[in-house]
Amino acid sequence: MNESGPLPVAQKGDKHRKRVRIIKLLRPALGVVVLLFILFRMYQVLVVQHEFGPDTWTRLLISGLIIGAVYALIAIGYTLVYGILFMINFAHGEVMMFGAYAGLFTFQAFGAIKISSVPPTSFLNAYPVIAIILAFLIGMSISATLGYFLEKIAYRPLRKAPRLVPLISAIGASIFLQNAAQLLFSPQLRDVTNPEILKRGEGWKILINGSNVVISYTGVFTFVLSVLLLIGLYIIVRKTKLGRAMRAVALDKNTAALMGIDVNRTISRTFIISGALAGAAGVMWGLHNGLVYYFVGFIPGIKAFTAAVLGGIGNLPGAMVGGLFLGIIESMGPAALGIDFQLKDVLAFVILIIVLTFRPSGLLGEVLAEEKV
Amino acid sequence: MKTLIRQAVRTGITFGIVNIFFVLVGFNMLLGILFAKLSGIKQPGAVPAPQFLIIYTLLIGLWAGLSSVSKKDELVFGKKVLLSGVTGLTTGVLTGLLNTVLAFLLINKINARDFLTVLSFDFIKGTLFGLPPLQGILLTVLFFTISSVFGGIVFALLKLKSVQSKWDGLKALIKTSYEKIQVVTHGRNKLLWQIISISLLAVVVVILPLKWGSYWNYVFGTVGLYVILGLGLNIIVGLSGQLVLGYIAFFAIGAYTMALLNSPVPHNLMWGFWPALVLGVVLAALAGLLLGLPLMRLRGDYLAIVTLGFGEIIRILLKSDILTKFTGGPRGIQKISGPTLFGKPFASDIDFMFLIIGGVLLAVFVYSRLQHSRTGRAWLSIREDELVARASGVNTVTYKLLALAIGAAFAGLAGGIYASRNQFTGPDEHALMASINVLSLIIVGGMGNIPGTLLGAFALKGLPEILREFANFRLLAFGALLVFMMLSRPEGLIPSRRPKYQIPKDPDKIDSGKEGKNG
Repeated sequence: MNESGPLPVAQKGDKHRKRVRIIKLLRPALGVVVLLFILFRMYQVLVVQHEFGPDTWTRLLISGLIIGAVYALIAIGYTLVYGILFMINFAHGEVMMFGAYAGLFTFQAFGAIKISSVPPTSFLNAYPVIAIILAFLIGMSISATLGYFLEKIAYRPLRKAPRLVPLISAIGASIFLQNAAQLLFSPQLRDVTNPEILKRGEGWKILINGSNVVISYTGVFTFVLSVLLLIGLYIIVRKTKLGRAMRAVALDKNTAALMGIDVNRTISRTFIISGALAGAAGVMWGLHNGLVYYFVGFIPGIKAFTAAVLGGIGNLPGAMVGGLFLGIIESMGPAALGIDFQLKDVLAFVILIIVLTFRPSGLLGEVLAEEKV
Repeated sequence: MKTLIRQAVRTGITFGIVNIFFVLVGFNMLLGILFAKLSGIKQPGAVPAPQFLIIYTLLIGLWAGLSSVSKKDELVFGKKVLLSGVTGLTTGVLTGLLNTVLAFLLINKINARDFLTVLSFDFIKGTLFGLPPLQGILLTVLFFTISSVFGGIVFALLKLKSVQSKWDGLKALIKTSYEKIQVVTHGRNKLLWQIISISLLAVVVVILPLKWGSYWNYVFGTVGLYVILGLGLNIIVGLSGQLVLGYIAFFAIGAYTMALLNSPVPHNLMWGFWPALVLGVVLAALAGLLLGLPLMRLRGDYLAIVTLGFGEIIRILLKSDILTKFTGGPRGIQKISGPTLFGKPFASDIDFMFLIIGGVLLAVFVYSRLQHSRTGRAWLSIREDELVARASGVNTVTYKLLALAIGAAFAGLAGGIYASRNQFTGPDEHALMASINVLSLIIVGGMGNIPGTLLGAFALKGLPEILREFANFRLLAFGALLVFMMLSRPEGLIPSRRPKYQIPKDPDKIDSGKEGKNG
């Protein structure tokens, strides 16, 4: 650029500024157009066509809340890690997958232990509460261990490397874990044996508009447990010493180290916590959806990351809000806009693009997209 | 001494865990069967004869022993033997514990195949070398210890002074001869050498496709297409520094343009290959521009996730029912007609191989011209620091959009050729994994340079085809390799060389000016 000299540069700057002004006007205009289109479409579908009654809407809302809670739980893991290390933990979905397998195997093993033959009762149905608690503990601890070693082996040596390097390492770890699961547990789809009290598809029935809306037990269980875990995490981050250390490390590693915080240990624990949450999400996924296979973590992982970005990555309430928002959009959006349910993923990603176009920092995020990166 | 032993134990534990993992994914059986094949003995089942599993065990032990005493040159011989023994014993005990559990399953007839898919009773018997459980377990421990000690001794001998000096001499010889060659080829006759090497390359490029069978033409055709893709993504990621994860969407646009315009079903347009190829390239570039326009404010991971989303949108749309009439839906488009050149249809793989070679040469040419141009320097400045680039008068928005558009155009080119060669394209060929493959290949090869991309494409797309034996373990190894590469050589196999400011040896020339600038 040396040859152009000072004068042409200044002229260029003027032109550039003019263009920037146009772009600045363009963006809100585009936003208004998109918004009007969406409103028009919703008006058409909801008022003119009036395809679905309130019963369907309730069903969609319930399923959206449930899936959103699981997304929030996984998204928290992404956001915690991103807040501290500024890296996408691409293998997080696989950590969840191993949790789901742990839950599956625990339920299967308890289901195979017979404690009385007449009537035939297995341990799983005789002591369901213990079985469920154990399944969650095992799933969470397996995933937490995996998260710990993942950080130690694949990420820690790369902490000072350029940003692409740990991302590729994470992608490698993700591919490795997926295929390890395929080789260890075989590629077939597996059904989860639920305990009797949490049978899939059964639940409380509410009569709305003359048809039964089922609020499934697994769904309520998933939602309530997710919310409890999220509250627990929030308390950990806000109130405990570890949480304070995590926030300090996220702000500035060097200064945190000067204040006597063991940075490595704090990061390890962050990975343990995010792994444990992903493990819980995995067990819930198995309980609620019933199918576990080696690819089960991939799509929820991507969606949860989308949710984390939607809410503003690095921001805890943002991840929760983003998860719920994404879940609800995904299940109610296609119906509200009158498009095929196959396209729910398209809708999720389009929402992501729209939100980031108009608000690059996410819904609740600080301006991170340009500053810290 | 205590710390040394602790280290040895730790190495042993690592190897023990790795070995347990190998056993549980059935890697020991695979290697055993390979050894059996190599020795010429036919194996009927999935479990090889015990002696081959013993070979596997000994090899792992040897490796453990070698690594337990590597980087400990200062120790005396006896200590090395002791350390390798400790490591081997630890590995053996861990594996022995696993074998105890397996033997327990075997004795009590518990079927664990529901949990871990390899654990058939035959497998367990094979792992115990076909012996009674107790003997099998003890032998495992023994084998590991012996082979590890042996490995330690071998390593200790290798590191002895005389061997060491010979090794160093060899290294120095290679280095000096390489430098001599460089002096010759980069000296006065640089042009001559370039002509010779290029003509040699040209001869190889022309002759090899004729000599290979169709299988190798297919494999190397795929490698060539990935080279084009890699170069395109290199412009976006390597040169201008924007992380784009949905790159394969542009490839899909090229492929589908070719398919829709040249297939009897669903539209029967039959435009012919060349217009469709050009249109595909243009459309891909336009898509790059359109995607880039709203996203130029985003950076880093945000851009990554949005482009990932874009790739998924394209794939899901192609797959969905609403577009089935237009794009063929999940089943894709078949019977895409091939190109004709001067009235002669492309029939064989050889023709396509030459087409792909042509595409690669074009891509390499465009890339290398761009890289060293004013545009390329602008991209580099954006990659290094966008703020500084903007401050020094680089119009970052334009250049970033340009990078996206050109990179996308490369992908459109590759996509068009790909669809025409395979006579088929479907939505699942354009999944996220393909984008990640392209990204991995440029990073493994070395970001931002052409030889690196060639090597990366060969390593990630050619090698797996050659290593067919390991079909199930290919992706596992690929993932582990990516992590390992990032840990040991993050700049790639062939790192990019930065242009350097050379200070001339004659001090007078420094004052006189700009002759010292090189590259």
